[in-house]
Amino acid sequence: MADINDIKTAFLQELASAGTAADLQQLKVKYLGKKGILTAKLKLLPTIPAEERPVYGKLMNELKMFIEGEIEGKESEIRDAERRSKIASEAIDITLPGKYTKPGKMHPISTVLKEIIDIFVSMGFDTEVGPEVELDYYNFEALNIPKDHPARDMQDTFYISDDVILRTHTSPVQVRTMERKKPPLRFIAPGKVYRCDADVSHTPMFHQVEGVVVDADISFSDLKGVLEIFVHLMFSKDTPVRFRPSFFPFTEPSAEVDIGCILCGGAGCRVCKGTGWLEVLGAGMVNPRVFEMVGYDPERYTGFAFGMGVERITMLKYSIDDIRMYYENDIRFLRQF
Amino acid sequence: MRVPLEWLKELVDFSISTDDLILKLTMVGLEVEGVERMEDDTVLEVNVTPNRPDCLSILGIAREVSALLNIPLKFPECEIREEGGPSLVDVEIADEDLCHRYAGRDIRGVTIGDSPEWLKKRIAKCGMRPINNVVDITNYVLLEMGHPLHAFDMDTLRGSRIRVARSRGGTITTLDGTERALPENSLLIWDGERPVAVAGVMGGAETEVKEATKSIFLESAYFLPSSIRRTSKALGLKTESAYRFERGTDIELLEKALDRAASLMAVHAGGKLSKKVDVYPRPFQPSRIKVRYERVNRILGASIPDDEMTDIVQRLGMKAEKGPKEFVATPPSFRGDIQKEIDLIEEIARFHGFDRIPVTVPKIPISKEAKDTRYHLMARVKESFRSAGFTEAINYSFMNPRMLDTLNIEENDSRRRTLILRNPINEEESCLRTTLAPSLIQNLLYNVSRGSRDVRLFEVSRIFIDEGALLPEEKHHLGAIYFREKTPSLWKEEAPDFYIVKGAVQSLLDDLRSGDYLFQPSSEPFLHPGKSGDIIVSGKKIGFLGTLHPYIIEKLSLKVSQQDILVVEMNLDALLASVSGGVKYTPIPRYPFIDRDIALVVDESLPATGVMEHLRAYPTELIEDISLFDFYKGKNIPEGKKSLAFTIRYRAEDRTLTDSEIEELHGKLTAYITAKTGGMVRGT
Repeated sequence: MADINDIKTAFLQELASAGTAADLQQLKVKYLGKKGILTAKLKLLPTIPAEERPVYGKLMNELKMFIEGEIEGKESEIRDAERRSKIASEAIDITLPGKYTKPGKMHPISTVLKEIIDIFVSMGFDTEVGPEVELDYYNFEALNIPKDHPARDMQDTFYISDDVILRTHTSPVQVRTMERKKPPLRFIAPGKVYRCDADVSHTPMFHQVEGVVVDADISFSDLKGVLEIFVHLMFSKDTPVRFRPSFFPFTEPSAEVDIGCILCGGAGCRVCKGTGWLEVLGAGMVNPRVFEMVGYDPERYTGFAFGMGVERITMLKYSIDDIRMYYENDIRFLRQF
Repeated sequence: MRVPLEWLKELVDFSISTDDLILKLTMVGLEVEGVERMEDDTVLEVNVTPNRPDCLSILGIAREVSALLNIPLKFPECEIREEGGPSLVDVEIADEDLCHRYAGRDIRGVTIGDSPEWLKKRIAKCGMRPINNVVDITNYVLLEMGHPLHAFDMDTLRGSRIRVARSRGGTITTLDGTERALPENSLLIWDGERPVAVAGVMGGAETEVKEATKSIFLESAYFLPSSIRRTSKALGLKTESAYRFERGTDIELLEKALDRAASLMAVHAGGKLSKKVDVYPRPFQPSRIKVRYERVNRILGASIPDDEMTDIVQRLGMKAEKGPKEFVATPPSFRGDIQKEIDLIEEIARFHGFDRIPVTVPKIPISKEAKDTRYHLMARVKESFRSAGFTEAINYSFMNPRMLDTLNIEENDSRRRTLILRNPINEEESCLRTTLAPSLIQNLLYNVSRGSRDVRLFEVSRIFIDEGALLPEEKHHLGAIYFREKTPSLWKEEAPDFYIVKGAVQSLLDDLRSGDYLFQPSSEPFLHPGKSGDIIVSGKKIGFLGTLHPYIIEKLSLKVSQQDILVVEMNLDALLASVSGGVKYTPIPRYPFIDRDIALVVDESLPATGVMEHLRAYPTELIEDISLFDFYKGKNIPEGKKSLAFTIRYRAEDRTLTDSEIEELHGKLTAYITAKTGGMVRGT
């Protein structure tokens, strides 16, 4: 019986020093193989006295199971270690940058224009478009600005011919849309407009968004409400808004809409010229003359219209101090937005 | 309009602070744009809108202040002593359609000299230069009462006559010493023989008041605004006088302005005043305008009491006859802008205060309009190019017509059908763009000259083609330019520039689900003939992409010729028209696929799409997809040949394909394609 314990002791010593899957394989062959130690011992079983044989056989069997179990345990231990070290060796420098095409930027005017459009669309406005090269009739006459009227001085016009011009505002879209559709109407008309004017504070092309609401009972108070919502969504909900009388031939009463200066908070600064207010919109009730021109009955319908310059709002939003930057298309400017 | 407060106070004695006054004027529609504080006075710069010529004077502003604060107006009165008997000048209005009233008087025995200091100071504060007592007084009255006057040297008026009549051509030398051709139909003041003034615009040099002048004839008249505007525009002559006449002057006030000036002249230049001549063929007819109380509140969304409405109107100098449902207003002669009910509603709103009108939201039914899908598609086009690495540019819609020459655009090309501006800012911006490419090339030059070596820009804008109709065709285009100097990059494997740009275009077309598209060799005259392609969608050319021709780069003196410059332009209206609306679901295949590759060696000149088309045309229903996965030239491939490798994906809808079935089919396909292309299978 002593030899069984000797075998066990020797095995455990050898197992402890086995470090690889190959070592274990050798160990397996040495003890459990066809010519292994245990197999050799079992072959000697018939030589054991018959009364000792059952006990000896049992012990030998236990030893065999013990060795098998130990080897299996050690095997999985080694596999785990190998896997761990493989995984450890696969580590990469995750701080290296990813590969992608760096996206470009949208022009700031586009971004702000989209913001404006989205606000009005969320209020249920449709969008309408019209030509940029426009008839004098739609740009002026149908908007109650006859030829030889001093109000034409408000807008320096690019001429193609006597009757064809570059639109000086988006307002002709009002007329074209009203000619085509019947109330109720609620739309905006964004787009490019042109004025024959180029200096530090003017570019010959700029962007406007026109808005019109017409139905049976639209009032000046509605105009105030819609534009107040717009200003609050565009700037912030505590931006003060004020309406003051002005003049546009196609609206009456007409108003300029000022917002509390978003740069100085109304205290007075260079941008608001010390007044604390910034002019951002022109607006008013659609002049009955315009309704007559498009064949609407001014007794039945009332409406309001407004217009805003996108460049100005963009300047305020991004603190841009030179309007000409918009159209130089300097990459160093455009990439900032 | 510059308003010295010291002068204003003389006409309306207000006691509110300057800041308060500024706010009140601004909130009533007379925006104070600037304030100049001087040692002994403050001058307000008031922005007077074109509808309010009555406010182009101290008196006019004073009237508004008086109405605003409900305090009396002190009209500038004067004392007239007509010691000189009847006027020696005969006045006749020949064209009374253009001149509704002409008054005047002579002042004989004047001494031309300096004006008194106080007067000089006042007109100087309003931005006018003192000249002499007579001229300064006409200017003074112009500023004070808003009515332009003119003084002639009476002794130079031939035949002692004034005749107001249209021009018959000819010339006149005006006060500024310029000889001017007289536009047809412009209104002139004639003496017995010749024109002596361009009515309402500027006097003539020959009848000018000079140092030696002894007698003057003082004119105060009403001219038709549109006539004055036409003449002033035709002559390119903008004067204080024309500015007021073309906006409309007060026909009733002109007499008082004449008296005011004459009395000042008698005091400061001496001389005797004659009696007045006053020819007034078309007297002022006051209009009566009905204003419905309910309509006022309906338009404004307010509930202003009837009495407040009539009170406002009366404070503004109008008569108001009250009825139960409406009142009738009679505007004074100085308010030519008030003609309709709506004009009075505006006045009521102004004085009631815009800030006191409630804030509401419109009650309007929800829209039945289909939303504008084009706007969203345009946004997707932009977004697609932006994510492909291009930054958005916005250029003016103008173009230098010479750029078309630079780009070798042929005479019969539609891009030559430009619209020319009559009054461009400069030659470089003298016509409207018919293509976006020139602007983007300019953007490239601009940025490269400022040191940028990575210029990837796109623009979505309209172009304008003159097709002979009254208005041009306006089309939305997408343009892009790509220039990028290769710099060492961390992760290699970048495609050649052409394919990067083509990839951006393909990604856009795929994303939009445009119609079937392909690229064909392009003949755009400014592109490299071997590195350019037309973009064909649903069988129609909608644009191009390609490398700028080396010859063009040379012409542009672009110093970056080492690197390709790529240009793209597409007609978005045509592209978006090909976009299919709906998507229909196809069931997910139930049986597995089998992939087989073919590597072909073909002539280098054979386009890959040609091979692809042949493969697609092979008559079988079992090919699901064909993709090109390798392109190779060089070692192991004969000179003049290239290798193209495709993966063919086979699948049947109704069963699992067997290996042997596919072996046979793939073998046949291989034989077919080698025969079609004259190529051979690589490695055999």
